Parts: sequence; C-alpha cells; structure tokens
Amino acid sequence: MQIRVRRTGGFAGIERRGEVETSGRADAEEWHTLAERALAAGRDTPPIGVPDGFSYEITVNGRTAYCADPRLTEEQRELISRVLKEGA
Amino acid sequence: MVQSMTTPSGHEPAFCTVVPPHVLDKLAQHGDTALATPARRTLERDALERTRRRLTTVIGAPTVAAPQGAAAGRPHRTVYDAGHQQTLPGKKVRGEGDKPGRDSTVNRAYAGLGATFELYLTAYGRDSIDGNGLPLDASVHFGEDYDNAFWNGEQMVFGDGDGQTFLDFTLPVDVIGHELTHGVTQYTANLAYFGQPGALNESVSDVFGSLIKQYALGQTAAEADWLIGAGLLAPHVTGKALRSMKAPGTAYDDTALGRDPQPGTMDGYVRTSRDNGGVHINSGIPNHAFYLVATALGGNAWERAGQVWYDVLTGGRLKPRATFADFAKLTVAAARARYHEGEEQEAVLKAWEQVGVPTS
Repeated sequence: MQIRVRRTGGFAGIERRGEVETSGRADAEEWHTLAERALAAGRDTPPIGVPDGFSYEITVNGRTAYCADPRLTEEQRELISRVLKEGA
Repeated sequence: MVQSMTTPSGHEPAFCTVVPPHVLDKLAQHGDTALATPARRTLERDALERTRRRLTTVIGAPTVAAPQGAAAGRPHRTVYDAGHQQTLPGKKVRGEGDKPGRDSTVNRAYAGLGATFELYLTAYGRDSIDGNGLPLDASVHFGEDYDNAFWNGEQMVFGDGDGQTFLDFTLPVDVIGHELTHGVTQYTANLAYFGQPGALNESVSDVFGSLIKQYALGQTAAEADWLIGAGLLAPHVTGKALRSMKAPGTAYDDTALGRDPQPGTMDGYVRTSRDNGGVHINSGIPNHAFYLVATALGGNAWERAGQVWYDVLTGGRLKPRATFADFAKLTVAAARARYHEGEEQEAVLKAWEQVGVPTS
C-alpha cells in the first residue's frame, strides 16, 4: 500500500510531502488500518479551512481524500504526522 | 482517543468526524434507537458546526460580548495551555491582569495580545478585534512539534515549532499581530480566503502584524526591518524570516525549506491551486505596495500609510471578493478622503504603479 500526504498552507505557506510504501514492512497491517480510517473520514473536496490553517491531501493507492486543521480525526492526525515524519 | 478531537467551539469534543459520515447515515436510520439517536445527534451537530463555520466565513463572526463589568478600551486576555494536545482551548493559565508566570510562551502570547490591542486602540480607536471589546483568547503549546499558528475564527492557536526548522510561534510579535488581524478582517471586510481576495486577506495580516511590531519597538518606516516571522526560523536554516515586505522573495533560501516564492510585482504573479490559490505567495505584491507607500511618506508607518489601509479594511466598501485592483482603487480614494490631494495620494498611486496593479 502506498500512502502519500501533502500538507499545504499554514502561516509559512511552505508545502510538505511524505510517502510511505507499506509492502514488506512488519507494521504494514497497522498502517493499513490507520490509512483506511483516515481516508474514510476525509472529504472528496478540500474543506473550507481557517486562515493560516494547514490543508491536507491524503492519497492511499491512488484514492485521495481531503481534510484541514483544526478539524482532524485522531487517525488522520496520526497518519499525517507519521507519514510526514517517516516518509519525508 | 476520541476525547482529543477538536471542534471549532472547543468546548465539546464530539465523536462526530471520527466515525465516517456514511456510517453515521446508516446508523441514524437504524431500527434500534439506542444506536440511531446518538448517530443522528452527531450528524446534526456536525452539520451545525459546518454551517456555523461557513456562516462565519461568509457573514463574519458573531458578536461575543465583553465580560460583565469589563472596562471599555481595555483588553480582556486569556491564555490557555493546550498541553501539546490538539484540543481547544486547553487549560486556562493566565487571565487579564494576572502576573507573568514561569512559562515564557504564555507570557509572550499575553504580551503580544496586548501589543495588538494597543495598536488598534491608540492608532485607530478600535476597541479589540470586533471593535466592541471582544475577549482575546489564545492557546499555546498546541500539538507536538506543531509548525504553525492560526486563527480558528474564534481564537488564536500557537504551536511550539519542531525546533529543527521552526521555533516557538509566539516568538515574533508580528506573527501574533498577523493572526489577530485575521480576526479583524473577519469582522470587517471579511475577505474570502482564496485567490486575490485571499492574498489581500494575508497581506492585510502581514501589514498590521508588521505595524504592531514597529509600534511596539517605536520604529519609523526607515528603521523597521519589514520582515514577517523574523526569529521564527531555527538557527541552522538559511533565512532571516518567512516573508519580506521590503524585498519579497528574499526572506529565505534553504536546502530544506526551498526558496521564498513571493513576487513583489504583478509580473511575478503566481497562478496555482495550492495554498488556496497562493494566498501566502501573491500577498507579496500588496505587501510591497504598502512598504512603498510607508517609506515614501516616512515617519511612523502606522500613522498615515496604516490609516489609509485601515480605512479601506473597515470602510465598508471593500467587498469579500475584491481583487488587487479593487483594493488599490479604494486606497487611492481613502487617501484622498482623509488627506485630500496631497503626498499621501501621490505615494499610493505611485506604489501601485510600481507593483503593476492598475488604479484606474
């Protein structure tokens, strides 16, 4: 499973991307659960955010969902933070 | 896990967006009321929040009354500690008039709220963000290694930065002023947050953010650094700030961060769907126009240049979907209305011409 996260906006307006390929990873199952939940709670189009808030694009195996701060689910928050950290 | 969900109102964490909407839809139709009722309630609350936020964006924020017995012309500040969670507002750590504590982030946020309140009141006679004594709330230590600060429609939120690229977002006072000015914009012109009106929204926040810093330091236009976010970048990052109003595009050039993408004139206008249509990029153009006006006039930038910009923001003629040209024309009209046909109007006309925005 390929998981990609793109973060745009924010006070700095600097874009961040990350990508994690889960095949062959010992914790692949955990990633899959997290990614599916994060994707399911997302929207098909970018939500109206708040000024300077981060906007996120989560793509799992080619399917994309959108979400924005400060309204993320716990799974979205965790997935975004892990992908941007590990898959930078 | 569910409890740390954040809602815009901040006071009632709900399980709404943890459960996908289509699952809630199904549950709400369930024959068992024990399952259907909470699901229905959640869907209603979710819809309510969405409508409320959309209304805030479209018609501006609702009026929140100042605390009873509070004096007009005085700030009503409250700083909360989010404790590295993302639940708002967090634990109250400092109220109005309380002595400084040991946490310098809390103290800086409190002082920054005060500096912002002070400029708006003394320079423009504006009593707080809404002009009616709105309490100023801020949450600090939001999230872990959180590289951002934002205005959520009701309060300010500050991250600590990751320490590698960004430091504590309460460090530059112009960042605090920038965020609170998003509140002022929301209560006044309510500029849409995308494309040119979005870049104007960002620029207005940079302009007044910078003026708050200049006022606090007692600097003239010639003495000011005209930087946004100076002191926010970690020491090893190659850059002096996030944006430069004096020379857009020169604030940073770093291997990890990339290069400051801001244009200073319309020749460099960036068309993009990212960042709400480049609101943090194209804001360089009106930013630079303001810098040109302020330095042409000299003296304190918050006086004549700032007054003209403030008059446009609050004058009632700036539309939520205004373009750069709409804004530029209104600044010419505002300069003439307040200072007649003198050097102020000349400086405004010349500045927009230099950045390539038409005024006629």
